[in-house]
Amino acid sequence: MDTLTIIWIALPLFVGFSIYLLPKLSRGLALLVSLVSLAYGLWYAFSAEPLTLELIDSFGVSLFVDQLSGFFILTNAVVTAAVILYCWSSGKGAFFYTQAIILHGSVNSVFLCADLISVYVALEVIGIAAFLLIVYPRTDRSIWVGLRYLFVSNTAMLFYLLGTALVYQATRSFSFAALENAPTEAIALIFIGLLAKGGIFVSGLWLPLTHGESESPVSALLSGAVVKTGVFPLVRFALILPELDPLVRLFGVLTALFGVAFAVFAKDTKRILAFHTISQLGFILAAPAVGGFYALTHGLVKSALFLIAGKLPSRDLKFLKKHPIPTSLWIALAIASFSISGFPLLSGFGAKVLTTKNLLPWQVIGMNVAAFGTAVSFAKFIFLPHEPSLAFSNGAAANGLSLNGTASNGTANNGTASNGASLNGAAAHGTANNGAAVHASADSSSGNSSGNSSGNRSSASSIPQPGVSFWLAIVVLLGGLVLANVFYYDAYSLENIVKPLVTIGLGWAAYLLIFQKLSVKLPRVAEQFDHLIGAMSLMLMLLFWMVLA
Amino acid sequence: MFTLEAFILATVFCGFLGIILKKNLMRKIISMDGMSTGSIGFYVLVAASPGVRSPIVGVREAAEGGANAYADPVPQAVILTAIVIGFSIQALMLVGVMKLSRENPTLDCQEIESNSL
Repeated sequence: MDTLTIIWIALPLFVGFSIYLLPKLSRGLALLVSLVSLAYGLWYAFSAEPLTLELIDSFGVSLFVDQLSGFFILTNAVVTAAVILYCWSSGKGAFFYTQAIILHGSVNSVFLCADLISVYVALEVIGIAAFLLIVYPRTDRSIWVGLRYLFVSNTAMLFYLLGTALVYQATRSFSFAALENAPTEAIALIFIGLLAKGGIFVSGLWLPLTHGESESPVSALLSGAVVKTGVFPLVRFALILPELDPLVRLFGVLTALFGVAFAVFAKDTKRILAFHTISQLGFILAAPAVGGFYALTHGLVKSALFLIAGKLPSRDLKFLKKHPIPTSLWIALAIASFSISGFPLLSGFGAKVLTTKNLLPWQVIGMNVAAFGTAVSFAKFIFLPHEPSLAFSNGAAANGLSLNGTASNGTANNGTASNGASLNGAAAHGTANNGAAVHASADSSSGNSSGNSSGNRSSASSIPQPGVSFWLAIVVLLGGLVLANVFYYDAYSLENIVKPLVTIGLGWAAYLLIFQKLSVKLPRVAEQFDHLIGAMSLMLMLLFWMVLA
Repeated sequence: MFTLEAFILATVFCGFLGIILKKNLMRKIISMDGMSTGSIGFYVLVAASPGVRSPIVGVREAAEGGANAYADPVPQAVILTAIVIGFSIQALMLVGVMKLSRENPTLDCQEIESNSL
């Protein structure tokens, strides 16, 4: 298993660079790498023996794989595979896939690292790869969003680096376990780096803009897999060092409440999802021992939601409330929303139950409030109006030629059966017929699967059709969500089922009676760049105080 | 040793303040570079705590204890990686700034922020 692990770590980097030399094989190679990771992740998620690889004469530099890493690797693999499927016929260049696979590889390596300095290197590589993915459209807006991300993450990582030096000075070792004898200021500095990188509590305010403004597939990657790299080392610290456990759990509760408070009042679909990511990271931290399973379900759900949000006609909830969305899209949206609210039959339920069981008494109230807030914020999606026979065009395009009904039904139903041949067809038609209109939009995916109907579509203001590749990605993510139930099927007892149903019921009632009518606009001042860096110094002071106390 | 440590931490602190206080994006990036210089210096200082001689095999006998002790090679090796990473991030950011400067010649951070959001 040793050799296999090393080959597996090196594979994405080799493949990533060869993709750039072999652009025609880009998509296939990228998918292959994520499938290899899927197999590796599954092997460890089903509790194979933990594996430790140490550098000889190591100064604590080592790799460690166990079930927890297995879950995180699995998350990363499924999310990457789904994103590549989603982009299959979108005409993205080899550069995009190169970066996606290098990002995939470096995210994997964080989940293996058991020492501070390897984590540092992996996190910085992630920063660079994520920056290049964010700025892929090359617009001024995307460059600014990317720069802001890179700046915040690099500043945080400089603090982390200082903390690591202090740990080495005290213990002559870089391993996680060495934190036990490290000075308290070292712990504070390392925490500020990881909190900012992982988007936790106030340091996570960079996250809504970055995840909200990126293209949908990139948002899905960032929210599904990349932010978990900041969380994973914190979870490991909590498991290795009992004295850090309360600190991590406290941040978990605070983050869960903080994120959900913003999500409830947000009016923009992608911002709701991004704020909600912050809150879900809190759930992972609140019960570190079972954080892996929660991370898996959250990664699957959140990337599915981001991909769906990219296909909605607008990001503004007010617009969506007036203009019904196609039922096929709504069903996918509702399934994902149900899972994240903790509805039985989907693995979000199992993850919530498992997390609840591992909470300490003082955490319970906070986490229940956060779960209630989750139900409220996703009621916004579940209660969107929808129409079964609606063509994929918005109100403005309705005066043009309407789609023939078979196109939208066809795309919804043909799932996995005939994708192989028609994928290429869709790609060809997409570029041939509606090239300018579809590809101008940032989230353009494919044309449509049947291809012949794209010609008689009014191309002026119509939105991109969800094609086969979109549905394939959604099927992978939501199917994974149902299958993930096997990890914890003990959750299905009557007592466990009643509680989330009550929470969801209360959440919906609160939404319909109160929150729907509220129009509170939270200020965005705190998300300005200067304030992000300033908040970092405040967090650092808070951490010093918490660690010393 | 303590004076050196104080100077290094002051460098980090000045760099951090520069990131907050400077309005120009270019200056912010240079401040960040100052901050990273500080943390690199800190590693060199940590490496020098056992001794300051270059750790080269072959002149070992001369260096047992006392004033001739070796510097610790591990933090130096580690910080080399961090320098390379810092350098590449700096380069990427400057390319981004070059692109942004076409639309925003002043490179004023708040202006860019309001223009592009």
